[in-house]
Amino acid sequence: MNGFLYGFTLQWKLDLRSRTMLITCYAVPLLFFAVMGGIFTSVMPESKETLIQSMTVFAVTMGALIGLPPSLAEIYRSDIKNAYQANGVPLSLGLILINISAFVHLLIMSAILYVLAPILFGAKIPEHLETYLGGLVILIAVSLSIASIIGLAVKDTANTSMFSILLFIPSTMLSGIMFPSEMLPQAFAIVGKLFPATWGYKLMTDSAFSLQTLCPLLGIFLIAVILCGVLLKRIRTR
Amino acid sequence: MTNALEVKGLRKSYGEKVVLKGIDLYVRRGDIFALLGVNGAGKTTTLECIEGLRKYDGGTISVNGRIGIQLQSAALPAHIKGGEAVRLFAKWNRKPADTSMLAALGVDSIANKQYQAMSTGQKRRLHLALALICDPDIVFLDEPTAGLDIEGRISLHEYIRNLKAQGKTIILASHDMAEVESLCDSIAILRDGEIAFAGTVIALTEKIGKHYNIQIRTGQGLETYESDDIRASLITILKSYEEKDTIIQDIRVDRGSLEQHFLKIAKGE
Repeated sequence: MNGFLYGFTLQWKLDLRSRTMLITCYAVPLLFFAVMGGIFTSVMPESKETLIQSMTVFAVTMGALIGLPPSLAEIYRSDIKNAYQANGVPLSLGLILINISAFVHLLIMSAILYVLAPILFGAKIPEHLETYLGGLVILIAVSLSIASIIGLAVKDTANTSMFSILLFIPSTMLSGIMFPSEMLPQAFAIVGKLFPATWGYKLMTDSAFSLQTLCPLLGIFLIAVILCGVLLKRIRTR
Repeated sequence: MTNALEVKGLRKSYGEKVVLKGIDLYVRRGDIFALLGVNGAGKTTTLECIEGLRKYDGGTISVNGRIGIQLQSAALPAHIKGGEAVRLFAKWNRKPADTSMLAALGVDSIANKQYQAMSTGQKRRLHLALALICDPDIVFLDEPTAGLDIEGRISLHEYIRNLKAQGKTIILASHDMAEVESLCDSIAILRDGEIAFAGTVIALTEKIGKHYNIQIRTGQGLETYESDDIRASLITILKSYEEKDTIIQDIRVDRGSLEQHFLKIAKGE
């Protein structure tokens, strides 16, 4: 097994040992799903049509924005990065491995919701599986890229939580997963379009991929990747 | 090149503050070399520039061989186990993932222990093990025995001597002058970003070695004298006690510790 593969399996194990990742990727989304899934489907039976998508967007947004930054800050805002640099391990390795590992955790969580929602709440399976899966993969990638900016940019671990929550709350409230976007005041609806959750949810519920929905997500992703590169370079060049 | 390390005219500033003012250093292959200086003298900056961890403004650094680095301020993820860390760094450096070096360092028990549960001494030895994974020719050790108990220090000193016996060059930063005196072949003392002394430990003691401390205990208490001419001073002092008819209970003469010499040079006294 080469260094990269070993690094990935090791990161996977470290995530499982870390309470933060387990809580934010699995425990809280499942609890939210159990409570809100019941409420949504009893108050608004039509929410069964999009329950899988809305719960998945919540789980992905939470897992990425709340779960990832502390793991990154642990490496890049501490002496761990010194140990990496000093012993010939590329500084970008931590960023890449943590992102891949988180990606897999979020896919697993999404699969759990996909299986449980129809059984527990009679949720409707997405009609267009390819747009649902494509939208899910893109949403996870974009959410993780934004979370990576927080993890690399914020100077101390305590502040990561504050910035994460500042992004997480409007992401979930204004994306349309809690209540339809059409019901939001226009200003909030516009602000909501700044967050990937809004576009991810739209993509996952659409019948086909549309450039209009894909472009904002890809744009956010591109900007986030460039920013991560710049931040990593700044950390490396002392 | 017989030197493991050659540094010429190394300069580094942080904004307006000049930290290194063009320092020159030479470390012979196979030596144990210590870089000394009071806090803020520029030791860590010098080492980090040499190790390639920090950019410098001017000068040249030639390192002849593979390097392994044990930093003073290094950490690992809280949940990683000792054995996993060794395997990760070994695989990344394409070296055999051999955890037996933990046993050689007397910390085989940490192979299955999470980093957050390790003692300071265990962490230091794990970082030393990681520094040695790539079989370096030159090993940088920053405060290697800080936080270790006496037993730990002795065994680590023994390990460092073994590394030297294997032909490795050791470059260390330390505050522990006893450690430096017992381990090192050569030293350099940094003062305000400049080399105030460079040479062997023996040369350092000889440089200020003509200075003596004389302690005389009598019924009235302890009196201390300093002298650069021990013979003349002792005759004068003893004569004065004889004239006063004072009984001397104990006389001690020493040349001052390396620590005193170091402080004199490092502080420019």
